[in-house]
Amino acid sequence: MSNTALLDETGAMTRFAGRFFSEGFRPRYEIQELLRQCYIIGYQSLPLVGITGFIMGMVLTLQSRPTMAQFGAESWIPTMVGLTIIREMGPIITALIFAGKIGSSIGAELGSMRVTEQIDAMEVSGTNPFKYLVATRVIATTLMLPVLTVMADAIALFASYLGINLKGVTTMALFTNNILTGLAFGDVVPAVIKTFFFGFAIGVIGCYKGYNSEKGTEGVGQAANSAVVVSSLVIFILDLLAVQITGLLGLN
Amino acid sequence: MTPEPTLQPAPAPPAPGKPGEVVMTVDHVSKSFGDNHVLRDFSLTLGRGENVVVLGKSGSGKSVLIKCIIGLLPYDEGTITVLGQDVASLDHVAMDQLRARVGFLFQSNALYDSMTVRENLLFPLRRHWLEHSAEEEEKLVCQALDDVGLANTANMMPVELSGGMRKRIALARTLILRPEIILYDEPTTGLDPITAREIDQLIREVQHKYNTSSLIISHDMNCVRLTADRVALLVDGRCYAEGTYDELEQRDDPKIHEFFA
Amino acid sequence: MTESTTANNIRLGLFVLVGLACLVITLFLLGRKQNLFSSSLQVQADFRNVSGLLTGNNVRLAGINVGTVRRIRILNDSTVRVAMDLNRDVRPYVKKNAIASIGTDGLVGNTIINLNASPEPAPPVVAGDILRTKSPLGIDAMLGTLNVSNKNLVGITKDLRAMTRRLNRSKALWSLLEDEQLARNFSHSMSHVAATTDLLQASARDVQLLTRGVRQGRGAAGYLFTDTAFAGQMHHATRQLAKTSDTLASTVASLKRQVSNPKGPLNTLLTDSTVSRQLKQSVENVAQGTAGFSQSMEALQHNFLLRGYFRRQKRKQAKQQQAAEKQPTPDKQAQAAKQ
Repeated sequence: MSNTALLDETGAMTRFAGRFFSEGFRPRYEIQELLRQCYIIGYQSLPLVGITGFIMGMVLTLQSRPTMAQFGAESWIPTMVGLTIIREMGPIITALIFAGKIGSSIGAELGSMRVTEQIDAMEVSGTNPFKYLVATRVIATTLMLPVLTVMADAIALFASYLGINLKGVTTMALFTNNILTGLAFGDVVPAVIKTFFFGFAIGVIGCYKGYNSEKGTEGVGQAANSAVVVSSLVIFILDLLAVQITGLLGLN
Repeated sequence: MTPEPTLQPAPAPPAPGKPGEVVMTVDHVSKSFGDNHVLRDFSLTLGRGENVVVLGKSGSGKSVLIKCIIGLLPYDEGTITVLGQDVASLDHVAMDQLRARVGFLFQSNALYDSMTVRENLLFPLRRHWLEHSAEEEEKLVCQALDDVGLANTANMMPVELSGGMRKRIALARTLILRPEIILYDEPTTGLDPITAREIDQLIREVQHKYNTSSLIISHDMNCVRLTADRVALLVDGRCYAEGTYDELEQRDDPKIHEFFA
Repeated sequence: MTESTTANNIRLGLFVLVGLACLVITLFLLGRKQNLFSSSLQVQADFRNVSGLLTGNNVRLAGINVGTVRRIRILNDSTVRVAMDLNRDVRPYVKKNAIASIGTDGLVGNTIINLNASPEPAPPVVAGDILRTKSPLGIDAMLGTLNVSNKNLVGITKDLRAMTRRLNRSKALWSLLEDEQLARNFSHSMSHVAATTDLLQASARDVQLLTRGVRQGRGAAGYLFTDTAFAGQMHHATRQLAKTSDTLASTVASLKRQVSNPKGPLNTLLTDSTVSRQLKQSVENVAQGTAGFSQSMEALQHNFLLRGYFRRQKRKQAKQQQAAEKQPTPDKQAQAAKQ
């Protein structure tokens, strides 16, 4: 039974995503609403994501120091932290925080709009609610998460720089050089590309859960909750896929 | 210019255009969700300037009927013709054009929480590609708010308003388009009796002022009494009985009597 | 409403631009590192073994990154052709006779190609040149050397142990070292020698005095015949001198006897050339072995993976040294004996 429910849910979600591709890019284009959503979803998430990134970079640096010192490899900390943050920690932590903040808010917002008939109201007001509400949000999350991730990476690396300078002195130039020597296109590009998929997944799942929420106010809470849970899970699955695919492409 | 609101069920208002013109027909419509047959062979007509109340118990499919009419739900069989157009055959563009002429007052008002009252009112106006200058828009908003007696609320958020006020704002939002038909989905549900009566009066007022035809879904007998020119009784998905309030009240049928008791 | 929308859009635009700028800068820096955006010239080199070289690895001239590996191709079963892109601006410094070799960036770092200049003058490279190569010194080879050194060291320590055991067992040496009488005798003889020398000196002074008097006085003959006391003095002095020389001679003879006695321990030590040769060689071996070992150690110490191990080892060593200083090792005793 639960298996069928899972399959049913997955199928419905996939169809929802398909509907996004078939309807989302047709006119009329909701540019104004898209910009508004980008502002809310992207810009207003920056403080949270920035703080997370800062702490992530700082903690990673301070945590790795004793181990690296044991191996006499303190000079490798920037390289290691840089690789870790850019390849994995930045994208995944930012995506999870983003899922928590944006996935739930989309789920709750669309859920409450559904139960209070605002979505129907839009439809009778000459608006395709799917395009106006769903497509704009999905596009916004897809476009904003990579930007947020890049900024979180930058902030985390800066925090790492500060963390290194808590014990010992490293110049910014040396730190940057250390990171760059350890990096290649194969590290940066797949890490950025996968965040688009993370963002898309968060947007689609949040919208799906909200758009199809039922059972009144209780359903709104459920929509918000399951949007976060499912999108977090999907992020990890996508991350696994990303690692496999980049491996197949020889970029690891 | 504004006619005095009448508290008593009024006789049919002076019909403009062609008297007795039918603006909407629901012809043998069936709708089922799985095994649950909500509408079976339901038929109804709405004349211009007429207030028809569809009376039914909760869960009897009243809301489904109204959503089928506005095209929010597809129906299985029969035809619904609104303003001369077959709802089922319309594409998106034509449907939107039709919807601009048909107002819909939702049971839960469906005001957009994230927008001010003014933005709420402007939303359908702008979304229907109705180009207006800023002054015209402002004028229309003021007019619509005036019509519902809430002239000073344009900059408030929906959450700041009481239930009755929200209902009025929702009505204003449908009125701003000057619709020919207004569909009311349980307009008095969840309101205290006094506010409910005010809303009923407002429905009447609007009908007189703009000569709109209204289809009102309700199970509130006060509402039915105050607003209905004609009452259609929806029982088991069918139109069980039809007539004026008084006619139906006189009938000696247990199923009808249930409502009027 | 419109104003706030504009402000929001401006903020959004700033946000997106900053994000994109971060990304673009990173990609640009990486691209510059990989010479994607600067013109390059391609040269080639044939290797027997490229030790896991990958496309994109660095090419270095005098330790500076001057290019990247573009393509690696197997020509035949013993030749791998590596094409590399060099920055145009270093072209004047890479000569046609430069030697390419495979190296590593640190002990566990990436494989790289090192370009080494040859002393002879040559024109700068042009695109398509094939550079000479040198077979790489792999970590395998280094570890192999280390292994041999270790084996040698084991042999050396074994020899050393056998030797010290033999020295320990040698009664002669020990009796020599422990014979206090011998030392006393020796010192006694020496004091005799010293005393004799003193006497000799005194006598010589007397003679000098005498001769000076003869020269200054009334003539040597007159003096000699008139002063009977002087004659006595002269006689005494001569006798004394003779006695002293006798003592000296006997002391030296006794020393000589001692040395020439084949059973004497001192002789054994000084004359046994085999022992001394062996000792010398051992010490030399130890010195060599230690040098080799310390070299290997130094190499290993640069390897950060083993650094922790060596640090612990050093601490242990220090402790042992402290213990050893309290009681002299056989090694030290042997050296003392030789001296």
